[in-house]
Amino acid sequence: MTTKDLRQQDPDVGAPSEGERAGVSRRSFLRAATVAAGTTAILSHTATSAGASELVPEDDLEELAREHADDPGMLIDITKCVGCGKCVRACKLNNDLGWRADQPATGAEAELASSNWTVVRAEPVETVEESRLGPRRRAGRRYVKFQCLHCLEPACASACFVAALRKTEEGAVVYDGNRCVGCRYCLLACPFGVPTFEWDETFGRVQKCDLCADRTSQGEPTACAEACPQGAITFGRRGDLLEEANRRIASDDDYVPHVYGETEAGGTSVLYLSDVPFEELGFRTGVAVDPLPTYTWEVTRILPPFAAGFSVTILALWARRQKILRERAEAEGTSQEEVGS
Amino acid sequence: MRPRALPYSPDRGRWRFAITPFRVVLLLIVAVTLALLGYRFVAGLGAVTNLSDKWPWSFWTWWKLSAVSLAGAGYFTMFMIYFLGRERYRDVERGAFIVSMLGYLMLCAALIIDLGQWYNAYRPLYQWGYHSVMFELFWCVGSYTVVQVVEFFVIFEERVPWKPLNKVLHKIHAPLLLLACFLPIFHQSALVSLYVITKGRLDPLWWSQLLPVYAVATFVYIGPPVILLENVIANRTYGRPVHMRSIADMLPVTAFMMFVYLVTRIVDYGVRGVFDELVSGSLYGNLALIELGIGVALPMVMFANRDLRMSKHAMVAASLLAIFGTWSFRFNVTMTGLVESIGVGWYVPSLMETVIALGLGAAVCVAYLFIVENFPIYTETDVAACEAAMAEAKAKELAARPRPRMAVLPADEVRELERAGRH
Repeated sequence: MTTKDLRQQDPDVGAPSEGERAGVSRRSFLRAATVAAGTTAILSHTATSAGASELVPEDDLEELAREHADDPGMLIDITKCVGCGKCVRACKLNNDLGWRADQPATGAEAELASSNWTVVRAEPVETVEESRLGPRRRAGRRYVKFQCLHCLEPACASACFVAALRKTEEGAVVYDGNRCVGCRYCLLACPFGVPTFEWDETFGRVQKCDLCADRTSQGEPTACAEACPQGAITFGRRGDLLEEANRRIASDDDYVPHVYGETEAGGTSVLYLSDVPFEELGFRTGVAVDPLPTYTWEVTRILPPFAAGFSVTILALWARRQKILRERAEAEGTSQEEVGS
Repeated sequence: MRPRALPYSPDRGRWRFAITPFRVVLLLIVAVTLALLGYRFVAGLGAVTNLSDKWPWSFWTWWKLSAVSLAGAGYFTMFMIYFLGRERYRDVERGAFIVSMLGYLMLCAALIIDLGQWYNAYRPLYQWGYHSVMFELFWCVGSYTVVQVVEFFVIFEERVPWKPLNKVLHKIHAPLLLLACFLPIFHQSALVSLYVITKGRLDPLWWSQLLPVYAVATFVYIGPPVILLENVIANRTYGRPVHMRSIADMLPVTAFMMFVYLVTRIVDYGVRGVFDELVSGSLYGNLALIELGIGVALPMVMFANRDLRMSKHAMVAASLLAIFGTWSFRFNVTMTGLVESIGVGWYVPSLMETVIALGLGAAVCVAYLFIVENFPIYTETDVAACEAAMAEAKAKELAARPRPRMAVLPADEVRELERAGRH
């Protein structure tokens, strides 16, 4: 019996017979397991060790930092902040945000919200001081001025499918509400939880700090930096700020030896110095060192070759079926003629 | 149970929709949902949901991803028939297709409902944020939904014949099928790869660069179980026979794919060094174990067993478990895995949010029933079987009904009537 005869008996085109199916299955399970395991091991190469880059070579990260060395940025020295909130006031006035009772911008409850592009949050901390009588615990407080960190490679902008969020030539990450559809993928994508949404508006938009793009493009410092009476916020070029930060760390043992924002998410334009570990101040630590868009890119870049291969496969399958259908139609046509004669 | 309605047949030409108590409930839920949606579009998202800046996506996102995964039914049958030549699956083709099309229409509706500035939803057509996974999603979901609706017009044209439409449909049939085969793979993967960017925040039990692969695998293998459930529901509603032969033929494919999926997940855990967390006995580890054990391994074994495969009850149970596995994978990615890093506790949906989600599901059910009763979805043999089941049930009901007894009047009343008649 030829395959063609089998096909005519079976309603399926080109379907294997029962025997073929049963015989293949067990072996193919094993084979598939091996193939799957191998492919997985190759594709899923990321280690979860924190602090090391996984996808992007160190050199490329340094290159990225060099590229953005002239971007406007801010160095926020938490040790100098006294929590007066003048920066918050300046921000709200400059960006026309207004005050809302349910969205405190200063104090222990302060959180970024649709009317707060920046906040100064009071964080209770406990410090240990060495004294003649041994270590002494002291309850204290730190003020964390928080706003968008303006990533060198912003996850929010890469996540935005209408290009409403983008990084400008100058280096600020800005938002255009007219282009936005309000999907809030940027809120999910941001590793620092910065973008906020207007939940109580009929047509909600996103709200976030734009590094006073209107002012910085004119060469002026940001409103918050200008308003700070304590010199806790230094406005300048990222490269210079990084140098300054490292100089302060070197000159004073009290500083935590880490500039927050130097490596987080591939680097940010806003940098932080602190004398209390950042995780105690509510900062998200353990943020990937690679720019987050790289992870998405790692996935999407496989798509074009995969799409090409997949198209070829389905076209081949389609052509094969058409051929079999044609053959069958011919076979049926002849047999009918035979019956007729 | 007696079938309450009949599927469409050319003999019964008029448009109709049987009303049963269950359908009244469905329609009520839909009505309430419409009212709530009106409120949502006036008052904003915050008014109806518990979403916040901390949880910008959650319950609805899960519901969308889960509901549309069921569309694997249509994809699976389409691929098997038109690309692998399994003509015998024709008997379940259209039912599966309708489930898929409605799933996608629901997804589109749900996506629009979830947008802040929904009137801008057309903008990605010319504002290309091509580096976003969401962009791929927008284009593929959009075009696949259009493809499915056009495919539905093939069925529509059979019901409402119109020559020019028929001609056009005939011409574009082949490219349409090729597109229908091509598109879903990309956006089903994209739906879950949206979460790839949450690297460092999504628990490593669920964050993986292989998220898109897992999404596609679960989408495709869930096809046959969904077809089985659709068949069982159609059987209870219309008395349509369950096409156990076709389905039992498909289920090993599901078992095979589940097996490959399971191996991949476990090797992935091993490579990334999170295997310890999986078996650590922690809440998250246990949730992942439940997802993989009860939601994948158990139904896989059941589907692979030849004896169990012939038992309808066992297969229905296994199908429900498989759907549980697929849905809980999406639940863990969108909710469980983020609880820790978001740090404000689990997301609890509001009542209105839940009702809207249910209402969308109810609308899909109503639409399915309406389409089956007014369009040629079931094969002629199936419709004949449904009619026979209906006739049999009616006859049984008639036979079981108590016979009307002769009225027996008291003797004195009879006498009185007689007297009245005489005068």
